[in-house]
Amino acid sequence: MTFLKKLLEFAGIHPERLRARWVSSAEAVEFVHEISEFVEEIKKLGPNPLKAKKAA
Amino acid sequence: MSSKIKETVQKLLAENKIKGFLGLREENGHIMPHLFCDPKELDALSLGDWKKAGDTRYPLNQLMIRLTMEYPEETFAVLVRGCDERGLKELFKWKQLNEEKIVPIGMGCPDELAKACECEKPFPDSLIDGPKGGKADSQKVTRIEAMDLDARLQFWKAEFDRCIKCFGCRNICPMCFCNECSLEEDQLVGTGEIPPANPTFHLARAIHMVGRCIDCGLCEEACPADIPLRTLYKKVAEIISKEFGYKTGFSVDEKSPFNIIEVK
Repeated sequence: MTFLKKLLEFAGIHPERLRARWVSSAEAVEFVHEISEFVEEIKKLGPNPLKAKKAA
Repeated sequence: MSSKIKETVQKLLAENKIKGFLGLREENGHIMPHLFCDPKELDALSLGDWKKAGDTRYPLNQLMIRLTMEYPEETFAVLVRGCDERGLKELFKWKQLNEEKIVPIGMGCPDELAKACECEKPFPDSLIDGPKGGKADSQKVTRIEAMDLDARLQFWKAEFDRCIKCFGCRNICPMCFCNECSLEEDQLVGTGEIPPANPTFHLARAIHMVGRCIDCGLCEEACPADIPLRTLYKKVAEIISKEFGYKTGFSVDEKSPFNIIEVK
């Protein structure tokens, strides 16, 4: 993950767009928490710059 | 500079220590790889200097892998620069070549080439002849790091957009020895599109260069679209070195942190 984030950053993609978490299928609350947090983070970052360029 | 190397190889051949020496020879004004088995042939030995220093380079280690597949019992010598030797060390660790069957014949790169390459170590440990140049820092990586995220993305998008998916970078790579390649896997990078999935295709290759890329730069030389692949892989090497303390090709026994499988 450390490596991928650094590589993405070098390629011009915000490293916070990538996230990996270890959550067991028994930890529903934990799962919801992680996903919600990630969604919030992504919303703050805005639309994916790669997608935006494709549409244009 | 070739006389010392010639003498060394002549001696090895005369004493029957090696079956042949994989180097370069000049013929009709062209420089090409050649397996020298007869000491008499060595007059045509070339070190790759053509118009300028190190103008002509070949993935000799890649040829070596094929050669040793055909003749697994024989010992061969091979001409190595600093980068080639780093490659040898990794290939030994990846079990693609047998350390006991390879004799490296080292040559140091001229300053001009070392600077153009921004080489970390432009001479091999098994140095027989040639200069022992110093380390050159990479300005190319620094230049991209000076841009903001958006500019970086624009830069790489434009570079990768020129890709014609010729696979030249992969095919010439002395460290690409996999029988099956992720880049041909439809589910990972869509096939049948040109340019290939941007930036996925090139970033996928960059990820696979972890602990493998020895910064020889042949990919960039081979690229018909002049994509600065070497700069990308230099950054890969820098991350691995800074974050994981691993320098590709510098050690004979330490394995890449991405390639450690504990067998208990």
